Amino acid sequence: MAENEFLEEKTFKQHCAKFIKHSEEIGDGWEWRNSKDDLELFSDDSEVVGPAAASEVIRYEYHVLYSYSYGVPVLYFRASFLDGRPLTLKEIWDGVHQFYKAHLLQEPWSTITQQEHPILGQPFFVLHPCKTNEFMTSLLENSEKDNRNINYITSWLSIVGPVVGLNLPLSYAKAMSQHDAKPDCYQVSESNLTC
Amino acid sequence: MTDDKDVLRDVWFGRIPTCFTLYQDEITEREAEPYYLLLPRVSYLTLVTDKVKKHFQKVMRQEDISEIWFEYEGTPLKWHYPIGLLFDLLASNTALPWNITVHFKSFPEKDLLHCPSKDTIEAHFMSCMKEADALKHKSQVINEMQKKDHKQLWMGLQNDKFDQFWAINRKLMEYPAEDNGFRYIPFRIYQATTERPFIQKLFRPVAADGQLHTLGDLLKEVCPSAITTEDGVKKNQIMIHGIEPMLETPLQWLSEHLSYPDNFLHISIIPQPTD
Repeated sequence: MAENEFLEEKTFKQHCAKFIKHSEEIGDGWEWRNSKDDLELFSDDSEVVGPAAASEVIRYEYHVLYSYSYGVPVLYFRASFLDGRPLTLKEIWDGVHQFYKAHLLQEPWSTITQQEHPILGQPFFVLHPCKTNEFMTSLLENSEKDNRNINYITSWLSIVGPVVGLNLPLSYAKAMSQHDAKPDCYQVSESNLTC
Repeated sequence: MTDDKDVLRDVWFGRIPTCFTLYQDEITEREAEPYYLLLPRVSYLTLVTDKVKKHFQKVMRQEDISEIWFEYEGTPLKWHYPIGLLFDLLASNTALPWNITVHFKSFPEKDLLHCPSKDTIEAHFMSCMKEADALKHKSQVINEMQKKDHKQLWMGLQNDKFDQFWAINRKLMEYPAEDNGFRYIPFRIYQATTERPFIQKLFRPVAADGQLHTLGDLLKEVCPSAITTEDGVKKNQIMIHGIEPMLETPLQWLSEHLSYPDNFLHISIIPQPTD
């Protein structure tokens, strides 16, 4: 059985730096917050949902934090209506695409629970990190076999993000694989989520 | 001569005398008497206050009741923190009983996690235990346990059964003979005056030269401002379970004996009382 690929803090920072660089290039709005002790990627997103007549604007916040305990990134998120009223887990769940709902129920490698943000101290929803190592290990092994360069953050976020309404533009994958030995670029697409 | 095991019992059976009073703006059909209860330091508010809820709901109409929440002197109390931690951090240097206000409306969404059922508390408790074992044993010990062992830990806590709990928890306190302790110590340091809720970092119980790290070593490394003195005068108390352990105490020993049931050392830094 392969050694688990723990993501070291230094590596996390490096991958985040590349991720942010691309985000800045395409104006995607991710920010890097680096205080003395914490590493955090942050994104603020507004989305209009619902039919035109009764449409609501929902503001999503995504934070990627590094968990020292598990050696993996963890996705914290919350959503609120413009008047500040927070969405309940049920309301967020209702907004998750049918495909991912089925997937999540089958393989709860991403149980969503409400937890306290370790820096802000406020309630957020969190994708539980304890299975991250399993699916990232096989992803990383496969990419090594094919001599593909992947960015841990991009790959991880493209797997867990859509489950909670966070979709990365494909340009991230192209940007991260610029140092490929092979001419064909690895593309992150919906079908790859079954890895 | 006191056995180390007696410490485990003293920690488990610690209680805080508490007086629950209904918030004055809650709508009642008649006067609500305060409710007195001895709260277990090692448990969680929403796990042990069913009687409190029933007592106050008796004088209220169903439509005026939604999710219960607790507050102390204007601060919403985080049910997911152990009771003893909340008390040490917020009220340890005030007169007993601990006066807690009970609310049934206007749940503070920005401050508190929801607690819809006992399952939520169980999930939170198990999640803390798993994180603690990730630090101590790379999750090997807890992952090797069967589901029924996990259940026994939770039931032991829920039903206040020391022996039932420790029959399983003792395995989480073991370490390989060749090591001198756990891989890293699960701890969180809380200080009411700071912005962030707590400090948690990777910290080994044993130094490179084999010496055991102490509580003082930990504080010096992760929270030095807590133990500096102003002109030799002690600024803060370093409190765990209502006591101030000596700073020379080995961290490994503290982790084995003064952890909460979730296997974390929850440490409070509070201002030194001036009386």
